[in-house]
Amino acid sequence: MSTSRRRTAAAAAVVASLSLVVTGCGAGSKTASKTATQVECDYTAPSGETKVNVLAYNSSSVDPYTNTMVSSCTKGDVTVNHEPIDFGGQVQKTTATLAGDKGTYDIIETYSFVIPQLAADGKLEPLDELVEKYSDEYGLDAINENMSEAMSYDGKLYGLPMQAQMLIMAYREDVFDKLGLEPPTTFEEMRSAAEKIQAETDIEYPIALPLLASADIVTAYDAALGSLGMNLTDPDTMTANLDTPESAKALEALISLKPYMDPQVTTFDQPAVQQQMYNGDAAMSIMFSGRMNDLTLESNSQFAQDMAFAAPPSVDGGDVLYNTVSVDGWSIPANTPLDKEMLFEMIASSVSEKASKASLPAAYPARDGMVTESSMPFAAAANESISKVPPSEPYPWTAEISNAITPIVASVLVGKTPVEEGTQKMQAAAEKILAEYK
Amino acid sequence: MRRREFAMFAGPSILVMSGLLLLPLYRTVQWSLQKVDYGSPGEFVGLDNYRQAFSNSRLADAAVFTVTLTLLVTAVLLVAGYVLAVLVNGLGRAKPYVLGLLLVPYVIPHIVGASMFLWLFNSNYGGVVTYVIEKLTGVEILWMTDTWANRILLAMNITWAMLPFAMLIIVAGLQGVPDEILEAAKMDGASLIRTHLSVIVPSIRGVLGFVALISIMDVVRVFDPLVALSPSAVQIGNESIMLYIYNVAFRDGGQNLGLGSAINVLLIILIVILLFPFIRGVAKEAKTR
Repeated sequence: MSTSRRRTAAAAAVVASLSLVVTGCGAGSKTASKTATQVECDYTAPSGETKVNVLAYNSSSVDPYTNTMVSSCTKGDVTVNHEPIDFGGQVQKTTATLAGDKGTYDIIETYSFVIPQLAADGKLEPLDELVEKYSDEYGLDAINENMSEAMSYDGKLYGLPMQAQMLIMAYREDVFDKLGLEPPTTFEEMRSAAEKIQAETDIEYPIALPLLASADIVTAYDAALGSLGMNLTDPDTMTANLDTPESAKALEALISLKPYMDPQVTTFDQPAVQQQMYNGDAAMSIMFSGRMNDLTLESNSQFAQDMAFAAPPSVDGGDVLYNTVSVDGWSIPANTPLDKEMLFEMIASSVSEKASKASLPAAYPARDGMVTESSMPFAAAANESISKVPPSEPYPWTAEISNAITPIVASVLVGKTPVEEGTQKMQAAAEKILAEYK
Repeated sequence: MRRREFAMFAGPSILVMSGLLLLPLYRTVQWSLQKVDYGSPGEFVGLDNYRQAFSNSRLADAAVFTVTLTLLVTAVLLVAGYVLAVLVNGLGRAKPYVLGLLLVPYVIPHIVGASMFLWLFNSNYGGVVTYVIEKLTGVEILWMTDTWANRILLAMNITWAMLPFAMLIIVAGLQGVPDEILEAAKMDGASLIRTHLSVIVPSIRGVLGFVALISIMDVVRVFDPLVALSPSAVQIGNESIMLYIYNVAFRDGGQNLGLGSAINVLLIILIVILLFPFIRGVAKEAKTR
């Protein structure tokens, strides 16, 4: 090979190799260990080396509780382990660890949506006796009763509440003020506001909702259906309500927002929606409250100071908002071989008063009286939102039906399935599941 | 080699292979004939899972998508891998450094590589490539929701991740081509293209076959890139067979391990069919020796 050809080949090879490598630049990581607080964790340690494995997804609202437990309860021969994981990973690992006689995890993060199914299957340890025994030591009587109820099934408590998450609207106050807009209280007002923002600013897609086709989209449908006064199922007649006019209206309401949202919205989960707000690509978004504090941090966005918060709108007017409340808590798997009292003291310490206070403003703690205007920038919105929430559906089949209808809701929203056909398919899928519980 | 020596050397390997290959394979076939709930013994249902698999058009759609993607990407890998290998093979002292750089995409975990790759195209996270295309053409490409744009994105990412492997193997093959036949071709007046097509490529046919074999096996099982690059794969018709198995076994409507296992068995059969020409070639070569 001649020298010039060799040089050309070398240059081409270097360019090719750099182009393969260049996309690897810029990766980073974020840990939240600095959110740990030191609290009392006075369990009786077992003899010998003991490892307690904790399963909890990472988010700014759950991390403070997890990190507090890990740092405060690791002592002597007892080590509390927590590996970072996202929400999807937690869902998969929860199923796997609770499946057999022995599991990988000794403490798991659970939420009100899954408690009925897991409790009905006998996968979780009832906590009532332990709550009674340790109530004074960890001040558990201050935990909100409604939240405890949300983590109960058939009259028994299966998850010790740590925090609640409700839907909140975050909006750009500077944009709204400039255009003389008020935070919308209905979907109609939301569409009008979006239209005005589109017409008078550079923001092409003013509304940002997490509508990820494989997960969040069903939460959105459920919130819309709830706002229209309809539940997924009727537990008395054991029938589904998914082919009702309200169900069709809920889907149409979500479809009506599409002209104001990014065309790729069915690929957006909550972090992607946060990113839209950080970038200034959207002027209003509706997400769970646990995601709101991130929007106020200047390290995340140049628009942090312009973020304002309101309760989400209702779909069609009325008192029930486009909303759903999820209570997060700690549960003890029935298949853990470790001492249940020790594990309970660990989870109780992580929701103690000191730990709960330290979780503010990222989380909405389960303890009464903690959320005030001074402790949380979106306190008013959160308190209004939680007071106007559709009724919960604490039945073992709720999660199963939600999973089953997720691809159908997604198919309707991307326009592949007509609304009418979609509601029929959803009804059939739900009825099939209900038949197994009859 | 004595029997005892053979047993000592081969024993551990056979044991590990049995544990990691045969046992899971046996379980998969067993579960494909059962209704299985996590943590409970399965209930025999005969061929019900297979009937259910074939009654849903999603399987056929996933199979067509996967096979088309596999054949296309394998063809690109062979051609681009060959060209890159020729370029690298012609390098002097820089060769080890360039080879090292080129191998970076191969050693990055697929899911991480795919997420980083997405940042080049997703406007929400910068999207340099999308920005440049939009500035130059005025066209906004919806990489994650437009079926064909997403397919191209997936193909590019898989090629990006697997090209180093193809290149590395072909470089090794090129180094084995005797100088004499290259000299002879030169003396016969063969052009550069003719030398490659008629002399070098036939000389490394076995190596290219090996690259094709490994590429087919890898691409037909594609999963990780779809998780990062195609969040609405099901809705836009870009669901691979592996993603379909994952959705059925772990996601949609709970956990249907029986049906997932049945589709897995069908996938194994598909892989064997796709690899048959290569396996037959290897067997023939072994016979002639």
